[in-house]
Amino acid sequence: MPAVQETIEQVRNIDVDQYKYGFESFIEMDKAPKGLSEETIRFISAKKGEPDWMLEWRLGAFRRWLTLEEPTWARVHYPKIDFQDIYYYAAPKSTPGPTSLGDVDPEILKVYEKLGIPLKEQEILAGVQKPTDDGEASDNVYKSGRVAVDAVFDSVSVVTTFRAELAKAGVLFMSMSEAIKEHPEIVRKYLGSVVPTTDNYYATLNSAVFTDGSFVFIPKGVRCPMELSTYFRINEKNTGQFERTLIIAEEGAYVSYLEGCTAPQRDENQLHAAVVELVALDDAEIKYSTVQNWYPGDKDGKGGIYNFVTKRGDCRGDRSKISWTQVETGSAITWKYPSCILRGDDSRGEFYSIAVSNGYQQVDSGTKMIHLGKNTSSRIISKGISAGHSNNTYRGQVSVNRRATNARNFTNCDSLLIGNDCGAHTVPYIEVKNSSAQVEHEATTSKISDDQKFYVMQRGIPEEEAIALIVNGFVKDVIQELPMEFAVEAQKLIGISLEGSVG
Amino acid sequence: MNIHSTPKLTAAETALIDAFGERFSELPGDATVAVKRDDAVEALKAGLPTRRVEAWHYTDLRRLLTNVPGYDSTLAARAKPALLAGSTVLPVLNGVSGAGASIDGATVTRLVDKLLDGSFAPALGPREPADTVGALNTAFVADGYFIDIAAGAEIAAPIEIQNVQAGGQTHSRFPVRVGQGAKATIVERQTGAGNALTSSISHLTLGEDAELLWIIVQDQPDGATCLSQFNAELAKGSRLTLFFMNAGSKLVRQEIRVRMPGEGADFKLRGINLLSGDTHCDVTMMLDHLAENTTSTEIVRNVANGAAKGVFQGQIKVAKDAQKTDAKMACNTLLLSDEAEFSTKPELEIFADDVACGHGATVTEIDRNHLFYLMARGIDEKTARGLLVKAFVAEIIEELEDEATVEVLEGILDDWFAEHV
Amino acid sequence: MLEIRNLHARIAESGVEIIRGLNLTVKAGEVAAIMGPNGSGKSTLSYVIAGREDYEVTEGDILYNGESILEMDPAERAAKGVFLAFQYPMEIPGVATMEFLKVAVNSQRKARGEAELKVPEFIRRVKEEAASLGIDFAMLKRPLNVGFSGGEKKRAEILQMKLLEPKLCVLDETDSGLDIDALKVVADGVNALRSPDRAMVVITHYQRLLDLIVPDTVHVLYKGQVIKSGDKDLALELERDGYAGLIGEAA
Ligand SMILES: Nc1ncnc2c1ncn2[C@@H]1O[C@H](COP(=O)(O)OP(=O)(O)OP(=O)(O)O)[C@@H](O)[C@H]1O
Ligand SMILES: [Mg+2]
Repeated sequence: MPAVQETIEQVRNIDVDQYKYGFESFIEMDKAPKGLSEETIRFISAKKGEPDWMLEWRLGAFRRWLTLEEPTWARVHYPKIDFQDIYYYAAPKSTPGPTSLGDVDPEILKVYEKLGIPLKEQEILAGVQKPTDDGEASDNVYKSGRVAVDAVFDSVSVVTTFRAELAKAGVLFMSMSEAIKEHPEIVRKYLGSVVPTTDNYYATLNSAVFTDGSFVFIPKGVRCPMELSTYFRINEKNTGQFERTLIIAEEGAYVSYLEGCTAPQRDENQLHAAVVELVALDDAEIKYSTVQNWYPGDKDGKGGIYNFVTKRGDCRGDRSKISWTQVETGSAITWKYPSCILRGDDSRGEFYSIAVSNGYQQVDSGTKMIHLGKNTSSRIISKGISAGHSNNTYRGQVSVNRRATNARNFTNCDSLLIGNDCGAHTVPYIEVKNSSAQVEHEATTSKISDDQKFYVMQRGIPEEEAIALIVNGFVKDVIQELPMEFAVEAQKLIGISLEGSVG
Repeated sequence: MNIHSTPKLTAAETALIDAFGERFSELPGDATVAVKRDDAVEALKAGLPTRRVEAWHYTDLRRLLTNVPGYDSTLAARAKPALLAGSTVLPVLNGVSGAGASIDGATVTRLVDKLLDGSFAPALGPREPADTVGALNTAFVADGYFIDIAAGAEIAAPIEIQNVQAGGQTHSRFPVRVGQGAKATIVERQTGAGNALTSSISHLTLGEDAELLWIIVQDQPDGATCLSQFNAELAKGSRLTLFFMNAGSKLVRQEIRVRMPGEGADFKLRGINLLSGDTHCDVTMMLDHLAENTTSTEIVRNVANGAAKGVFQGQIKVAKDAQKTDAKMACNTLLLSDEAEFSTKPELEIFADDVACGHGATVTEIDRNHLFYLMARGIDEKTARGLLVKAFVAEIIEELEDEATVEVLEGILDDWFAEHV
Repeated sequence: MLEIRNLHARIAESGVEIIRGLNLTVKAGEVAAIMGPNGSGKSTLSYVIAGREDYEVTEGDILYNGESILEMDPAERAAKGVFLAFQYPMEIPGVATMEFLKVAVNSQRKARGEAELKVPEFIRRVKEEAASLGIDFAMLKRPLNVGFSGGEKKRAEILQMKLLEPKLCVLDETDSGLDIDALKVVADGVNALRSPDRAMVVITHYQRLLDLIVPDTVHVLYKGQVIKSGDKDLALELERDGYAGLIGEAA
């Protein structure tokens, strides 16, 4: 609850420079030659010391990619990306791959310190902050001491915390590069089984050139003892980040996973094309939360990250559950549809989203709920807020297959417009092929009501804060789905993102 | 979105292009019309739309259009009694208009005359690349009526456009102009016998403060293909209620394109799709709120039985200047059989901030509580279900004020239920 | 404390004039009752005092402690001590009442250069005031006014007033929708706030409220003007005779 107050504080304290993670760090990097070719892919694979099957997998994807065309159906506009003008691999010379904390370049550790991401386990444990009596939490989820972090810096994971602790519980948590070497049998079994290399333009590109990401495996019956998270940092210029995350929850397992990201403030656009695959077996549950805060570009729309992401969860087992919660405030362009394939009987998919756009940001995001099994259910709550000159689109699909008896879906998408130069759009696709389905979709678009604003201001709350307050009320249903510390951070971010939108 | 290659033409595409070659010399029109026809056929040669064309996402016309009968002037279609008693009937029989009637307050012209003198040429042509119905109709349009309702006229008797098929291929147009402050009711019937291929386009311009009720009833036979388009432009303060009911054909694409450039205009859409057999019925609405204080409500109810596939795409756009727009859309569907399908895409595209817009879509079963209530009163399950399904769509009809109209439309509903459920 | 001079105000959107040359003075320490038939402009007046944007002042002025407040936005006026208890309090989904109260109290303190209330202190005060108004504390965890009954909303308004300690309280039909016991509780709450440095404007239709909150002056509003002012006996007269006679006189 105090988060609203903090949002207001934050809005008040920040003046010109809204994006507080825009700093650049000068760290000597080892890079692949610029451009994309089979050579580049061989280079990446060799750097990572990958087995042959992995290289072949990548090359297959690359050859496929060459035959594809960039999709144009999303409501986003940007100049053609020159895929030859990008570095596909950039790793700190000092820390070319995952290592133990003591061996990580102190300069890199400084970056994470500055971002507020603690990596030193001892300190984290010593600094566990107890929530204050009115429920006030520490300002940052990573400092709460309950989170293991995989820190990905440009193309490589530099360190993964709490690995040993987790291993005791049987949980595998490490970078993807390590997993390929240490657990090839699991990786081979699941990699590409949810998002095949042929899936779509960006996913195929990712399959060819992905450099790192996180790997999580929760064995049968294990409830992961702490939150797991990955923090992505793009640092190097002209570099694309292509991460690949794979999370597997075996029968009856549970894991809550968080993802955060930031990038320096630059005039050039940078590409981030990730693939995330989740697999939930019988009775397993995966909760995946994202606070996306890539650099959004400046107030004139210059610079910013192009965020083209394929995230998909496969509820493969009966009674399995996958839940996506996202707070999208960053990126110049967001193209992202975290989806659930409800294959197992009685499986459940959830999607909770807040997408805030301001300045010249363009968001095209939503979800797909594909009902295949019997008694499957899904729930979609999406809150879009557009301000400035931005465009914010919800695009979603609910599809009930012929065999999916007794499928249930409830969808609610609300959009809020702040100012008259932005756009809010809703494009749901609803496809029902089974007569026992119950599918309900509702959507609204409106502005903040003048009546509400007047009422709040009458109590002495200034306009900008009044709006932040009402907006926080608007997104409450989704914020509630986030782990508590993450929720606090998310509310702050929303306030910051809307800074300057009241004219 | 993979490799683009020029596709091999399908049999239907080839048949259409060949038909144009054969018919071209007989099609009415001056040089300006001929040029439009030529351009339209070029558009068709690029191939019919597939589901990759967003506007045709759920109706892969290239795959679904298989029925392309030739034009046959020897076929005879017979006019039907008017749907609503006392109507003035304007028949188009197998694609050919009659003499035209005289109506107090309105002038009726045969469209063929407006093609011959070229005055209708500017209105021809596809509206955008995905406007396949517009292209097809432009290529072949041969007749129809132009109805011009004088300013201030209040025409009590409905005017019925009766487009009756006999099994061949027909292409007609119905421009309607309603003068300032005028009031009228228009009934458009798409009906007939045989497995015809019909394209039919109407254009309505509604003058300031005019008020119009337009009722479309489509009950073509099971094998027919009916491609239609309803275009309307609403001036300041005008009010349009469009009611449609689809209860026939194998393949239906019904486009409803409404633009509201006039302040304070109001549009109501009420539609019913009764789907059975292996019908594929696609209703696609594109609505543009372009001026301040425009309001609209759209309610579409669908009942699908057999192996029918239904589609409703409803796009509401609100332009930057259309402040204080109020737009609400609802699409509700009952699937009655295991093989029936329904897809819906309700879309909002909003650029003005002071608006209240919303849409709802449901695909459900009959409300179990209602069913229980009726059965608790001693009604057997089958009858109870029938009552509830019928009530679900009848609700839309009952909104129409005129009792006689309600009765006639409910009659069609009853007949359909008797035959198909 | 409040001086309204020849005020003319109209609805911004339609230009319809509602307040048509209204004069009213309320001194510090005074309780002024405003009565008048439905639609006479009472609520409009309260909104104009609070600074609602939907209304435009075309002529005249509103002085608060000798200073014109017309140029201030609602939050600035509130920070200066103007409080309006709404006839129809607005519902704000998702914003917990407690949270809202805290933000409001601290915004005002901040604007006045005072230190923020510490959380435990704040909670203690809310608990106290809520109890005195018969408000269940659990209700305050719910979103602001959402799903509150008519009477609950009115009590919540008075709770806000007590927490914010304003200098000029405008109460718009705070008695409507209250049951008999609640009326008493609310009136006690208002009376507790009476003080020599605070003025109150009580809009009501009924004597029963004025029996409990005894006014110093009574003003009758009709068609956007004060057509008659008097002491508390005027209210009794109105209760007995209705507005007809007065309106006849005015016309
Ligand atoms: N925003 C508005 N738009 C249109 N008319 C308005 C608006 N606000 C007020 N009015 C009209 O102004 C007049 C005064 O309204 P107001 O609410 O001030 O009356 P009141 O004296 O408070 O009435 P009541 O005793 O019923 O509360 C009424 O005729 C009302 O309809
Ligand atoms: Mg009032």
